[in-house]
Amino acid sequence: MSTAVSTAGPRSISLDGKLRIAIGVLSVIGIGIGGYLTYTHYAGLHVLCLSSGGCETVQHSSYSKLGGIPVATLGLAGYIGVLFSLAIRGELGRALGFGLALVGFLFSMYLTYREAFTIHAYCQWCLGSAAVMTLLAILTAIRMLRFEAAAPAASRKQVSRAERRRQMAGRR
Amino acid sequence: MASRTKQKEEARARRLEEERARAERARRDRRLRSVGAIVLGAIVVVAVLIIVSSGGGKKGGLQTGTEASATSTAVNGLLAGIPQSGATLGSPNAPVTMTYYGDYECPVCQAFTLQGGFPQLIQNEVRQGKVKVVYKSFCTATCNGPGQTVFNTQQVAGLAAGKQNLFWQFTELFYREQGQEDTGYVNEAYLTGLARQIPGLNLTKWQTDRQDASLATQVAADATAGHNIGVNGTPTLIFQGPKGQAAPNAAVPTYAQLQQAVKQVS
Repeated sequence: MSTAVSTAGPRSISLDGKLRIAIGVLSVIGIGIGGYLTYTHYAGLHVLCLSSGGCETVQHSSYSKLGGIPVATLGLAGYIGVLFSLAIRGELGRALGFGLALVGFLFSMYLTYREAFTIHAYCQWCLGSAAVMTLLAILTAIRMLRFEAAAPAASRKQVSRAERRRQMAGRR
Repeated sequence: MASRTKQKEEARARRLEEERARAERARRDRRLRSVGAIVLGAIVVVAVLIIVSSGGGKKGGLQTGTEASATSTAVNGLLAGIPQSGATLGSPNAPVTMTYYGDYECPVCQAFTLQGGFPQLIQNEVRQGKVKVVYKSFCTATCNGPGQTVFNTQQVAGLAAGKQNLFWQFTELFYREQGQEDTGYVNEAYLTGLARQIPGLNLTKWQTDRQDASLATQVAADATAGHNIGVNGTPTLIFQGPKGQAAPNAAVPTYAQLQQAVKQVS
């Protein structure tokens, strides 16, 4: 009995825990990237860039702002939102995290397409952010779609109830 | 008796199992519906973001009517009274020269010319005769998009205005009415439209001067000069003065950074 508890119970918690940790770490990385680009934008600083002028070209292109707000700032808000969603328990938290990461992922893909085919310049920070968003979308989707993790737990609960009733009937 | 109890237990277990399976199916359907709704919602949100990004982010392009008049007035206000000769803005005797390698279609050049420290440099140091600005053509954004032929045509159009000492009016107007990248907005109507907005420009002479082979040669010479000193992006700014040479590190230098470079070489 003690073996069953120690193997079945903690295993499902552990998987969700690992996903939460990975999502948390990726969100913090994303916050770092978004925070740095937002800071350099408003402080008027030169962005550290591996390619010659690529980051500056992308950061000053017409696609770098959305309604006057730098897309880096929107990304920063998105990462903070995904991190915040981890603090919300249950279905709502998972759905919020998945929704934000999915929007971030799809918009990152659009911006990467613009970098490749319109601006003709790449910004490593933006590509890094797109990669982080892609991973976040995958991990939050796994959290959202985990049928198997919840199902055996419910089954165990019901079986143990039936077991108890049988034992009670035996005593009678 | 024991057999009846066992049958009851088995029936209960079956019922429980069926209930459990039903609950599991319902839960799975509910979750799939949630996922579907989230995916659909995300697609709608991103579609709206893309429409805003490509439609409302920056329209640009050739202005008309009162908008064009306001832009033209602002440009003339900035440049009025400052001597010009060809692609040079400012007094020929200014002790410091800022060489500006640029591309008319380059958005970073636009940011520098309009939002960086450049307008203040013109209003102060250039107007006071301390600094002169020499513009050199260097193909970056245009060559990544429409290509070298379009680049030559647009830069020569600017130099042709320079033959009437109105190069900087044309250049300022181009940056202020720069269109969306890679949309092929630079055509005859666009270039002539800009030229028409320059007060005092003789349009017939400008059209004739555009055919002057020496201007195309100058565009090519600018590129060679840039390559020779290692220019690989625009805008590239080089300050030269009595104390040597300086180049601000930032792509879009602030006025303070430009002043520092002027001070360094003065």
